[in-house]
Amino acid sequence: MNAVADKYAAHGVGSVFIYTNEAHPGEYYPHLTSMEQKFRHARDLRDVLGVKRPILVDSLDGACHRAFGSMPNMTWIFNKAAVPVYKSDWTDANSVANALDYFLDVLKRRRSKERLAPFRVERLDYRNQDREQFYAGLARNGEKAVREFRAAFG
Amino acid sequence: MDRDELLVRYNYDSFVPEKFGPWLRFDESPPLGAKIPDFPLWTLDGDETSLIEIIAQNAYTVAEFGSFT
Repeated sequence: MNAVADKYAAHGVGSVFIYTNEAHPGEYYPHLTSMEQKFRHARDLRDVLGVKRPILVDSLDGACHRAFGSMPNMTWIFNKAAVPVYKSDWTDANSVANALDYFLDVLKRRRSKERLAPFRVERLDYRNQDREQFYAGLARNGEKAVREFRAAFG
Repeated sequence: MDRDELLVRYNYDSFVPEKFGPWLRFDESPPLGAKIPDFPLWTLDGDETSLIEIIAQNAYTVAEFGSFT
């Protein structure tokens, strides 16, 4: 997603990461009990995991996250008027890039005076599912996170 | 649910279905095409901003939600 942010920044697309609750708390990154801890974990997201986009920390009760459905790693795209034009219950760079290409073309069409009306579309996209990499990520949180995920999903 | 209970339940301490499951409400999330409500957010420096303030800065804004874990 960092690469997507870099690629589209010059086209008027901003990218942010909104820090939520801990999806898979473990011994090293336990569940959140304070904003200080939440900021600490968010800084590690930048410094350890390399998220380069601006990170914005949600309130401790997750008011923003909960309002958008509380999925652990979802992505939304908003236009300048704060209207969502894309929402995905999971984050996939290919899906986001595909959507941005479409919406940037909409801007071009509008500039060329084409008369456009919005409509809703649903689509099933596909993401890479690398279980090995996923479990390596869980192990970084602590063995508890691995154990609990295996118990829940095998 | 009072605020203390909300804080504990939202920031669940174990990834078990009875704790994380109730929060997964994507089907109830805001619809496409309608302006969203605003929410306060904080930069890593601790400065307060808001979702709409951030969104207003660009033609489009991609917002990924997530955490370290």
